[in-house]
Amino acid sequence: MLKIRNVNTYYGAIHAIHDIDVEVNEGEIVSVIGANGAGKSTLMKTIMGIVKPKTGTVEFMGEDITSASTAKIVKNGIVYVPEGRYIFPDLSVADNLMMGAYSQRFSAKELNDLMEEMYEMFPRLRERKKQLGGTLSGGEQQMLAIARGMMSRPKLIMFDEPSLGLAPIIVSEVFDTILKIKEEMQIPIVLVEQNAYKALSISNRCYILENGKVTLSGESAKLINDDNVRKAYLAG
Amino acid sequence: MFAMVTQLIVSGVATGFIYGLTAIEYTLIWNSCGLLNFAHTKTIMFSAYLFVGTFLAIMANAYLPAVICTIICIALFGVLIALIIFIPLRNFTRLIAVMATVMLGTVLNEGAVLIWGSAPMSAGGFLDGRVEIGGVVTSLANIYIIVISVLVTIGLRLFMKKTKPGRAMICVAQDKVAASLMGVEVKRSMALSVAISFAICGLLGCLCAPLFRVQQTMVDMVGLKGFAAGVIGGFGNTTGAIAGGLLLGVVENLACMVVPSMYKDVIAFTLLILFLLVKPNGLISVKKD
Ligand SMILES: Nc1ncnc2c1ncn2[C@@H]1O[C@H](COP(=O)(O)OP(=O)(O)OP(=O)(O)O)[C@@H](O)[C@H]1O
Ligand SMILES: [Mg+2]
Repeated sequence: MLKIRNVNTYYGAIHAIHDIDVEVNEGEIVSVIGANGAGKSTLMKTIMGIVKPKTGTVEFMGEDITSASTAKIVKNGIVYVPEGRYIFPDLSVADNLMMGAYSQRFSAKELNDLMEEMYEMFPRLRERKKQLGGTLSGGEQQMLAIARGMMSRPKLIMFDEPSLGLAPIIVSEVFDTILKIKEEMQIPIVLVEQNAYKALSISNRCYILENGKVTLSGESAKLINDDNVRKAYLAG
Repeated sequence: MFAMVTQLIVSGVATGFIYGLTAIEYTLIWNSCGLLNFAHTKTIMFSAYLFVGTFLAIMANAYLPAVICTIICIALFGVLIALIIFIPLRNFTRLIAVMATVMLGTVLNEGAVLIWGSAPMSAGGFLDGRVEIGGVVTSLANIYIIVISVLVTIGLRLFMKKTKPGRAMICVAQDKVAASLMGVEVKRSMALSVAISFAICGLLGCLCAPLFRVQQTMVDMVGLKGFAAGVIGGFGNTTGAIAGGLLLGVVENLACMVVPSMYKDVIAFTLLILFLLVKPNGLISVKKD
């Protein structure tokens, strides 16, 4: 459903990603792993139209969205939960969630049901619905960012390092949630991760990025046993 | 004595609302674009000229249509300015955008002379007259200013809280990248904020026309004190802006009872400096809106 062809993105003179081809199909989790500065977030930002590629195309459900605005891309159904979460600090948890549905036209009842669904999934958010987003803990903010992303009923959701800075027990919770999103809600997922082992074990396919290039890609189950991958990303 | 104090308070409240609306008007642009609009005083002045010199003149004193036409023209002008100054320049250093708004102010200032000539004008019969309410005599203009300002402030708050474009404006003020990831067209939202800000300038121009002689420097003090009102109220929220404006307006008016009225401005700016020293976050340091 998402097809990225031959994409090159620059920041001024810095060539951040080179000739990238990436594909995401219905019903799968695709992970993207790579070292710091490999270009993972740049790839996400290129898909979202936050930075524009110099060459290449991004196609979503048959529509060319290479030069569409970020808002249009969100309306079309791609949601990006960025690195750093980007919670609205001065909005309450409930208002942050409401903003997640901004791009779609939902009735008041649909909105209510969606909120309820999110509170079921993340009971801690229900307890804190009146609290300001900026005052939540890191883990709570990550939960909120994921729930807010789900509020628009996306057709594809992309998570950028959702485990960053979280305690191990919360990390497991986040990964469980991601699996649940794919399995129960049938939403395909792109998962950017530093934690290569987790990413490979949860995903169907994986792309490995090095210095802005895809150096290896394939089924995660195979990559996890690949010697080079083990050496470089799984520390043995 | 009582009547006199009440009278001073009423006109202080009216002036206070003018300051408060001025604070709201530049706060809107500050929140959405992160820039101060140094042309706002001159935009108010230009609006007063447009209202008196053009619309009142051609509409033969049909007041309401003239006010509406002025507000619409200035709001559209705001969209244009958003497209050529605020939106493209927001990514450069602040200084460039600041210079651009200062120059815009100069253009409006000189433009007013070119279009309407250098002789001061008067708003004629617009909001002219006095009313007596319970023994307190005040000008009709004051009553209109108070009522209209209250309506505009409430309307603006409802718009921000209850409508989608309003909520988008609040989010754009807090985090532009996050807002765009929610599906907000950020540039469009910024243009809307600037348009509303300019519309309020247009309204202020009409409301100030009967208070002052319409000339280039007519609202220079209002612009400065509106800025002070925003700072006193706690930069960035509408409630604080109005509260700061009212405090400033009432205090400087009451001060006229004890000191000669030529010291009014000294009182106003002393109050500002005191606030900066004692309560740098302003009267109301609630969340931004
Ligand atoms: N706004 C920017 N301006 C200039 N260079 C940038 C910008 N953003 C990223 N870069 C550069 O582009 C390269 C790729 O950055 P990117 O953020 O995509 O890496 P990443 O793989 O997400 O890394 P991390 O794992 O640390 O998040 C880096 O060398 C980075 O310094
Ligand atoms: Mg990154």
